[in-house]
Amino acid sequence: MKFNKRRANTKQEIPTASMPDIVFMLLLFFMVTTTLRKVDVLVNYKLPEAKAIEKIENKRLISYIWVGQSKRIQINDSIVKLDDIQKIMYAQRQALPNVIVSLRVDKGTDMGLVTDIQQELRKAYCLRINYSATIKI
Amino acid sequence: MIKKRKIAEAAIPTSSMADIAFLLLLFFLVATVIDVDTGIGLTLPEYVQDVSTVKVPKDRMAAILINENGDVLLDGKQVPLFQIKDKIKPRIISKIDLPSNKKLIVSVKTDRKTNYNTYVQALDQIKQAYFETRDEYANQNYGRPMNKLPEEEKKVVQDKIPIIISLAEPESVKK
Repeated sequence: MKFNKRRANTKQEIPTASMPDIVFMLLLFFMVTTTLRKVDVLVNYKLPEAKAIEKIENKRLISYIWVGQSKRIQINDSIVKLDDIQKIMYAQRQALPNVIVSLRVDKGTDMGLVTDIQQELRKAYCLRINYSATIKI
Repeated sequence: MIKKRKIAEAAIPTSSMADIAFLLLLFFLVATVIDVDTGIGLTLPEYVQDVSTVKVPKDRMAAILINENGDVLLDGKQVPLFQIKDKIKPRIISKIDLPSNKKLIVSVKTDRKTNYNTYVQALDQIKQAYFETRDEYANQNYGRPMNKLPEEEKKVVQDKIPIIISLAEPESVKK
Protein backbone atom coordinates (compact mmCIF):
# COMPACT_ATOMS: atom_id res chain seq x y z
CA MET A 1 0.00 0.00 0.00
CA LYS A 2 1.29 3.30 -0.94
CA PHE A 3 1.13 6.16 1.45
CA ASN A 4 0.49 9.48 0.01
CA LYS A 5 2.09 12.23 1.94
CA ARG A 6 -0.43 14.79 2.84
CA ARG A 7 0.85 18.14 1.98
CA ALA A 8 -0.87 21.42 1.45
CA ASN A 9 -0.47 22.56 -2.08
CA THR A 10 0.01 26.16 -1.17
CA LYS A 11 3.29 27.80 -2.01
CA GLN A 12 5.81 28.14 0.74
CA GLU A 13 7.40 31.39 -0.16
CA ILE A 14 7.70 34.69 1.54
CA PRO A 15 6.73 37.36 -0.93
CA THR A 16 9.76 39.55 -1.41
CA ALA A 17 8.36 41.92 -3.95
CA SER A 18 7.73 44.61 -1.37
CA MET A 19 11.11 44.30 0.26
CA PRO A 20 12.71 47.16 -1.68
CA ASP A 21 9.83 49.41 -0.69
CA ILE A 22 10.23 48.60 2.97
CA VAL A 23 13.97 49.08 2.79
CA PHE A 24 13.55 52.39 1.02
CA MET A 25 11.17 53.54 3.68
CA LEU A 26 13.69 52.73 6.40
CA LEU A 27 16.38 54.36 4.34
CA LEU A 28 14.38 57.55 3.99
CA PHE A 29 13.74 57.65 7.73
CA PHE A 30 17.43 57.40 8.52
CA MET A 31 18.36 59.89 5.83
CA VAL A 32 16.00 62.44 7.29
CA THR A 33 17.01 61.92 10.91
CA THR A 34 20.73 61.83 10.35
CA THR A 35 22.76 64.83 11.32
CA LEU A 36 26.29 64.13 10.38
CA ARG A 37 28.93 64.94 12.90
CA LYS A 38 30.68 68.06 11.75
CA VAL A 39 33.52 68.55 14.18
CA ASP A 40 36.15 66.55 15.93
CA VAL A 41 36.24 67.21 19.61
CA LEU A 42 39.78 67.99 20.61
CA VAL A 43 39.31 68.30 24.33
CA ASN A 44 38.67 65.70 26.94
CA TYR A 45 35.55 66.26 28.95
CA LYS A 46 33.06 64.52 31.17
CA LEU A 47 29.63 66.06 31.51
CA PRO A 48 27.95 66.55 34.87
CA GLU A 49 24.78 64.68 35.70
CA ALA A 50 21.46 66.28 36.53
CA LYS A 51 17.83 65.33 36.95
CA ALA A 52 15.80 68.32 35.82
CA ILE A 53 17.07 68.46 32.27
CA GLU A 54 15.33 69.48 29.10
CA LYS A 55 15.84 68.47 25.52
CA ILE A 56 16.87 71.12 23.05
CA GLU A 57 14.13 71.01 20.48
CA ASN A 58 15.94 72.39 17.50
CA LYS A 59 19.27 70.83 16.77
CA ARG A 60 20.15 73.26 14.01
CA LEU A 61 20.14 76.23 16.35
CA ILE A 62 22.80 74.84 18.61
CA SER A 63 26.35 76.05 18.67
CA TYR A 64 28.76 74.27 20.95
CA ILE A 65 31.52 75.39 23.23
CA TRP A 66 33.65 72.69 24.76
CA VAL A 67 35.79 73.13 27.82
CA GLY A 68 38.07 70.26 28.61
CA GLN A 69 39.87 68.98 31.66
CA SER A 70 42.93 70.86 30.51
CA LYS A 71 40.94 74.13 30.67
CA ARG A 72 41.17 74.51 26.93
CA ILE A 73 38.21 76.00 25.09
CA GLN A 74 37.09 74.68 21.76
CA ILE A 75 34.65 76.31 19.38
CA ASN A 76 33.84 74.72 16.04
CA ASP A 77 37.04 73.03 14.93
CA SER A 78 39.74 74.78 16.84
CA ILE A 79 41.02 75.60 20.27
CA VAL A 80 40.44 79.27 20.99
CA LYS A 81 41.52 81.80 23.53
CA LEU A 82 39.08 83.37 25.94
CA ASP A 83 39.39 86.78 24.28
CA ASP A 84 38.40 85.39 20.89
CA ILE A 85 35.09 83.98 22.04
CA GLN A 86 33.24 87.26 21.73
CA LYS A 87 34.25 87.77 18.09
CA ILE A 88 33.49 84.21 17.03
CA MET A 89 30.19 84.02 18.83
CA TYR A 90 29.06 87.39 17.54
CA ALA A 91 29.62 86.19 13.99
CA GLN A 92 27.78 83.02 14.89
CA ARG A 93 24.86 85.02 16.20
CA GLN A 94 24.63 87.11 13.07
CA ALA A 95 24.35 83.95 11.01
CA LEU A 96 21.77 82.46 13.38
CA PRO A 97 19.92 85.13 15.33
CA ASN A 98 18.36 82.84 17.93
CA VAL A 99 21.33 80.62 18.51
CA ILE A 100 21.44 78.42 21.58
CA VAL A 101 24.90 77.98 22.99
CA SER A 102 25.41 74.58 24.48
CA LEU A 103 28.19 74.60 27.04
CA ARG A 104 29.83 71.21 27.20
CA VAL A 105 31.98 71.82 30.21
CA ASP A 106 33.95 69.25 32.10
CA LYS A 107 32.75 68.41 35.60
CA GLY A 108 35.93 69.49 37.31
CA THR A 109 36.21 72.96 35.84
CA ASP A 110 36.35 75.99 38.10
CA MET A 111 33.42 78.38 37.98
CA GLY A 112 35.79 81.25 37.28
CA LEU A 113 36.42 80.03 33.75
CA VAL A 114 32.73 79.32 33.15
CA THR A 115 31.84 82.81 34.36
CA ASP A 116 34.44 84.35 32.08
CA ILE A 117 32.95 82.50 29.11
CA GLN A 118 29.49 83.62 30.14
CA GLN A 119 30.66 87.22 30.30
CA GLU A 120 32.04 86.92 26.77
CA LEU A 121 28.78 85.40 25.60
CA ARG A 122 26.84 88.26 27.14
CA LYS A 123 29.02 90.73 25.29
CA ALA A 124 28.36 88.82 22.07
CA TYR A 125 24.62 88.86 22.83
CA CYS A 126 24.38 85.09 22.81
CA LEU A 127 22.03 84.97 25.73
CA ARG A 128 20.39 81.59 25.41
CA ILE A 129 22.67 79.01 26.92
CA ASN A 130 22.37 75.43 27.96
CA TYR A 131 24.59 73.67 30.44
CA SER A 132 24.95 70.31 28.81
CA ALA A 133 24.33 67.49 31.24
CA THR A 134 23.46 63.84 31.11
CA ILE A 135 20.52 62.36 32.91
CA LYS A 136 21.08 61.03 36.39
CA ILE A 137 19.33 57.78 37.08
CA MET B 1 8.75 37.37 -46.89
CA ILE B 2 8.85 39.74 -44.04
CA LYS B 3 10.14 38.24 -40.92
CA LYS B 4 8.32 39.37 -37.88
CA ARG B 5 10.95 40.69 -35.60
CA LYS B 6 10.57 39.89 -32.00
CA ILE B 7 10.63 43.05 -29.90
CA ALA B 8 13.18 42.81 -27.19
CA GLU B 9 11.79 43.42 -23.78
CA ALA B 10 12.98 46.71 -22.40
CA ALA B 11 13.08 46.08 -18.69
CA ILE B 12 15.52 47.41 -16.17
CA PRO B 13 16.69 44.61 -13.97
CA THR B 14 15.37 45.45 -10.53
CA SER B 15 16.55 42.43 -8.63
CA SER B 16 19.59 44.28 -7.34
CA MET B 17 17.61 47.27 -6.17
CA ALA B 18 17.06 45.75 -2.75
CA ASP B 19 20.78 45.18 -2.38
CA ILE B 20 21.60 48.74 -3.29
CA ALA B 21 18.96 50.05 -0.94
CA PHE B 22 20.29 47.85 1.84
CA LEU B 23 23.77 49.20 1.30
CA LEU B 24 22.58 52.78 1.54
CA LEU B 25 20.48 51.90 4.56
CA LEU B 26 23.48 50.40 6.29
CA PHE B 27 25.52 53.50 5.65
CA PHE B 28 22.92 55.76 7.21
CA LEU B 29 22.37 53.39 10.09
CA VAL B 30 26.05 53.54 10.92
CA ALA B 31 26.39 57.28 10.34
CA THR B 32 23.39 58.27 12.43
CA VAL B 33 24.08 59.73 15.83
CA ILE B 34 20.99 59.72 17.93
CA ASP B 35 22.36 61.55 20.92
CA VAL B 36 19.85 64.14 21.95
CA ASP B 37 21.24 67.26 23.46
CA THR B 38 20.05 67.52 26.99
CA GLY B 39 20.94 70.02 29.60
CA ILE B 40 19.84 72.82 31.86
CA GLY B 41 18.66 75.80 29.88
CA LEU B 42 19.16 79.37 31.04
CA THR B 43 18.94 82.84 29.61
CA LEU B 44 21.76 85.20 30.46
CA PRO B 45 21.06 88.85 31.20
CA GLU B 46 22.09 91.42 28.64
CA TYR B 47 25.50 92.95 29.02
CA VAL B 48 25.39 96.46 30.40
CA GLN B 49 28.31 98.71 31.15
CA ASP B 50 27.19 100.35 34.36
CA VAL B 51 25.35 97.98 36.60
CA SER B 52 22.49 99.68 38.34
CA THR B 53 21.39 97.88 41.44
CA VAL B 54 17.73 97.33 42.08
CA LYS B 55 16.59 96.81 45.61
CA VAL B 56 14.58 93.67 46.01
CA PRO B 57 12.65 92.98 49.20
CA LYS B 58 14.18 90.27 51.34
CA ASP B 59 11.24 87.89 51.24
CA ARG B 60 11.28 87.84 47.44
CA MET B 61 14.86 86.69 47.26
CA ALA B 62 16.35 83.30 47.85
CA ALA B 63 20.05 83.91 47.81
CA ILE B 64 22.22 80.88 47.31
CA LEU B 65 25.93 81.18 47.86
CA ILE B 66 28.31 78.36 47.06
CA ASN B 67 31.89 78.52 48.21
CA GLU B 68 34.91 76.71 46.87
CA ASN B 69 34.44 73.73 49.17
CA GLY B 70 30.93 73.15 47.92
CA ASP B 71 29.23 74.46 51.06
CA VAL B 72 25.89 76.07 50.38
CA LEU B 73 24.51 79.09 52.14
CA LEU B 74 20.81 79.74 51.62
CA ASP B 75 19.74 83.13 52.98
CA GLY B 76 22.56 83.11 55.50
CA LYS B 77 21.95 79.59 56.76
CA GLN B 78 24.07 76.66 55.76
CA VAL B 79 22.13 73.85 54.09
CA PRO B 80 23.24 70.62 52.43
CA LEU B 81 23.40 70.82 48.65
CA PHE B 82 20.67 68.24 48.15
CA GLN B 83 18.20 70.00 50.42
CA ILE B 84 18.02 73.17 48.36
CA LYS B 85 14.97 71.76 46.58
CA ASP B 86 13.05 71.07 49.77
CA LYS B 87 13.89 74.48 51.21
CA ILE B 88 12.93 76.46 48.14
CA LYS B 89 9.78 74.60 47.13
CA PRO B 90 7.51 75.90 49.93
CA ARG B 91 8.61 79.43 49.13
CA ILE B 92 7.69 79.03 45.46
CA ILE B 93 4.32 77.57 46.42
CA SER B 94 3.57 80.43 48.81
CA LYS B 95 4.03 82.92 45.98
CA ILE B 96 1.89 81.26 43.31
CA ASP B 97 -1.04 83.62 43.73
CA LEU B 98 0.97 86.81 44.02
CA PRO B 99 1.29 89.18 41.04
CA SER B 100 4.18 88.65 38.67
CA ASN B 101 6.36 91.36 40.18
CA LYS B 102 6.29 89.64 43.56
CA LYS B 103 7.36 86.14 42.53
CA LEU B 104 10.38 84.48 44.03
CA ILE B 105 13.81 85.26 42.61
CA VAL B 106 16.46 82.64 43.13
CA SER B 107 19.91 84.11 43.02
CA VAL B 108 22.92 81.88 42.60
CA LYS B 109 26.36 83.17 43.41
CA THR B 110 29.53 81.19 43.27
CA ASP B 111 33.14 81.67 44.04
CA ARG B 112 35.68 81.61 41.23
CA LYS B 113 37.09 78.41 42.65
CA THR B 114 33.75 76.64 43.00
CA ASN B 115 33.53 73.32 41.18
CA TYR B 116 31.36 73.42 38.07
CA ASN B 117 29.69 70.15 38.99
CA THR B 118 28.55 71.57 42.33
CA TYR B 119 27.09 74.58 40.54
CA VAL B 120 25.17 72.36 38.10
CA GLN B 121 23.85 70.27 40.99
CA ALA B 122 22.59 73.43 42.70
CA LEU B 123 20.92 74.64 39.50
CA ASP B 124 19.44 71.18 39.09
CA GLN B 125 17.95 71.37 42.58
CA ILE B 126 16.38 74.74 41.82
CA LYS B 127 14.98 73.56 38.51
CA GLN B 128 13.60 70.43 40.15
CA ALA B 129 11.85 72.54 42.77
CA TYR B 130 10.23 74.61 40.04
CA PHE B 131 9.28 71.63 37.87
CA GLU B 132 7.72 69.77 40.79
CA THR B 133 5.74 72.82 41.84
CA ARG B 134 4.50 73.29 38.29
CA ASP B 135 3.50 69.64 38.05
CA GLU B 136 1.65 69.77 41.34
CA TYR B 137 -0.15 72.96 40.36
CA ALA B 138 -1.12 71.49 36.99
CA ASN B 139 -2.34 68.32 38.66
CA GLN B 140 -4.48 70.23 41.13
CA ASN B 141 -6.04 72.56 38.61
CA TYR B 142 -6.22 70.60 35.40
CA GLY B 143 -5.86 67.03 36.57
CA ARG B 144 -2.77 66.15 34.59
CA PRO B 145 0.94 66.87 34.68
CA MET B 146 2.58 69.82 33.00
CA ASN B 147 3.82 68.10 29.86
CA LYS B 148 0.38 66.77 29.00
CA LEU B 149 -1.39 70.12 29.13
CA PRO B 150 -2.56 71.92 26.00
CA GLU B 151 -0.64 75.04 25.05
CA GLU B 152 -2.87 77.71 26.61
CA GLU B 153 -3.05 75.99 29.96
CA LYS B 154 0.67 75.43 29.93
CA LYS B 155 1.07 79.15 29.43
CA VAL B 156 -1.12 79.87 32.45
CA VAL B 157 0.97 77.60 34.64
CA GLN B 158 4.17 79.16 33.34
CA ASP B 159 2.82 82.61 34.14
CA LYS B 160 1.76 81.52 37.59
CA ILE B 161 5.10 79.89 38.37
CA PRO B 162 7.81 81.60 36.34
CA ILE B 163 11.35 80.38 36.70
CA ILE B 164 13.44 83.36 37.68
CA ILE B 165 17.04 82.50 38.31
CA SER B 166 19.48 85.32 38.71
CA LEU B 167 23.14 84.63 38.18
CA ALA B 168 25.14 87.01 40.25
CA GLU B 169 28.49 87.99 38.89
CA PRO B 170 31.42 87.00 41.06
CA GLU B 171 33.03 89.90 42.87
CA SER B 172 36.22 89.88 40.86
CA VAL B 173 34.36 90.34 37.58
CA LYS B 174 32.51 93.40 38.78
CA LYS B 175 35.55 95.32 40.00
